[in-house]
Amino acid sequence: MVVDQDLVRHLSESSVSVELQTEEMTLNIGPQHPSTHGVLRLVARVDGERAFDVQPVIGYMHRGYEKLSEVRTYPQITTLINRIDWVAGYANEIPFVVAAEKLLGLEVPERAQYIRLILTEMARISSHLIFMASYPLELGAATPLFFALRERERVLDLLEGVTGGRFHPNFNRIGGVKPAYGSGSSTRKVIQDLPAGFLAATREAMDRVLEAVEELELLVADNEIILARTKGIGVLPADVAAAYGVSGPNLRASGVAFDLRKVEDYLPYHLFDFEIPTGENGDCWDRWHVRLLEIRQSVRIVQQAIDGIPSGPLQAKVPKIIKVPQGETYVRAENPKGEMGYYLVSNGNQGPYRLKIRSASFSNISILPWILEGVLVPDIIAILGSLDFVLGDVDR
Amino acid sequence: MTSSPSETANGETEAAEADADAAVEAATPEPHPLQEFADHVAATVGGEGAVVFDTVKVEVDSGDWVSALTTARDEMGLIFFSWLSATDWSSEVQVGDPYPEAVEDRIEVLATVGDISEGRRVTFSTTLGKDSPSISSLVGVYAGANWHEREAHEMFGIDFEGHPNLAHLYLPDAFVGNPLRKSFPLLTREVKPWPGTVDVEAMPGGGDEEESADGPSEENPEA
Repeated sequence: MVVDQDLVRHLSESSVSVELQTEEMTLNIGPQHPSTHGVLRLVARVDGERAFDVQPVIGYMHRGYEKLSEVRTYPQITTLINRIDWVAGYANEIPFVVAAEKLLGLEVPERAQYIRLILTEMARISSHLIFMASYPLELGAATPLFFALRERERVLDLLEGVTGGRFHPNFNRIGGVKPAYGSGSSTRKVIQDLPAGFLAATREAMDRVLEAVEELELLVADNEIILARTKGIGVLPADVAAAYGVSGPNLRASGVAFDLRKVEDYLPYHLFDFEIPTGENGDCWDRWHVRLLEIRQSVRIVQQAIDGIPSGPLQAKVPKIIKVPQGETYVRAENPKGEMGYYLVSNGNQGPYRLKIRSASFSNISILPWILEGVLVPDIIAILGSLDFVLGDVDR
Repeated sequence: MTSSPSETANGETEAAEADADAAVEAATPEPHPLQEFADHVAATVGGEGAVVFDTVKVEVDSGDWVSALTTARDEMGLIFFSWLSATDWSSEVQVGDPYPEAVEDRIEVLATVGDISEGRRVTFSTTLGKDSPSISSLVGVYAGANWHEREAHEMFGIDFEGHPNLAHLYLPDAFVGNPLRKSFPLLTREVKPWPGTVDVEAMPGGGDEEESADGPSEENPEA
């Protein structure tokens, strides 16, 4: 058989985009698509395998919490804001109650602060485990899902044991955590604290989480397909990330060692040793890896907090009807998805005059038109997944 | 370790509160640790700086909005765009409670920016008139302002001059009105009052008869 060597060379050197005449078309992704973590629609103009001018369409989950909170009282609002980032509902409550406490000038008892901190870190672990489960799945690897969700369930069980809710704990009160005594219609004095055996069970669960993280790392970090699909894909430089307000693990993956737990005082993180993991290249791989490392750091914090948790009251003394004095403040916190904050304007009544909710995912996905410019169509999913957003956190 | 709070715990709280009150009184003349930073920012960008509840707030003229934030980004290292929004100051409110005293009618535009090293942040504020408020867009300074300004545009009716695409972000295209204005009613509650304001809602199309008819069936489901 005679082989035309010129033709072989020509074929091997040619690339698809050079040889094919492609027509530009518009590709609609979503609003219902497994990779969109809710209802997000992307309108992409594609030319062959490349996407240009990707425009996210959001608002399908908009529930108008900023308006609603103007007609609710402070205790009622914690039930609403649980539902912003529902993967880490507990963490949403913290900056809001801290903002109200700041205006009230309340000092939260130490034990309540420790409980808040432990549960916040457990919310972070469960949120990151969801990412560990879903991201490889979006890239075609189903196995890590089982390893990650198994441990997440353990963590959620413990959260549920304390707060009564897996997703919407509604456990924080202004001045502390859930009242120490039965209140409302109950006349019986019920002493509520951490359930018996919680600390020991949490310590055990943390060990199991560390084991699972080892397994996940072995499963994913050595997988050539995952490496090929994430290394060097969706590179986000730190200055671009900052200008767009991209925060949290997404910013740290770009090499910025900035963590609000280190610089803000909303919870006593300064009492504990932990590191800020960072990435090197700001690509999809780094965003996966930073979250994996953050689980280990959160476990460290929880272990130290369990060792050092003081006894004492769970609530500061607050009146039955809370009227927050006039004033305004912005309190932000390092949530699993990034910077979450509340700008609270109070007019001295039972509810806020204005509550601006700064959610992490909103700013994190505003980068999409920039980061998806000119990428291959299959990489859209890889990049979307790596940003780890929740649509409730985008739309509020 | 699951110790229970007791009477002694409450006593401690009271003592702690008394201490805190004393501390506040003693510390009142002391300037806030952030005051120096607030003054420095205000002097650099040209505005009024204050620390309100640990939040550094700098007020600037609406004409200096873009130049002030450009200075903040380039000279103060505040490269992180946190958020932009507004507050509708109004004595007449459709929902919620108004301020107990009259407030000057105005729209206050707020933008928070920060650094990504030491955790310093500044909330910039400027005042616009209620009728057709308009201000220059920050998109050229912070790319992240794009979506935040679209949101403020639809929610408050603020026009951001020079914004590349001031289309609705959350609301349907045909939506009329600016929902976060204090003059905008909460339409659901116009149609139906708050559930829970009375303990038992009247049944539609019947009153006591239906209740009494339902009564026995609850006790005896098989009837």
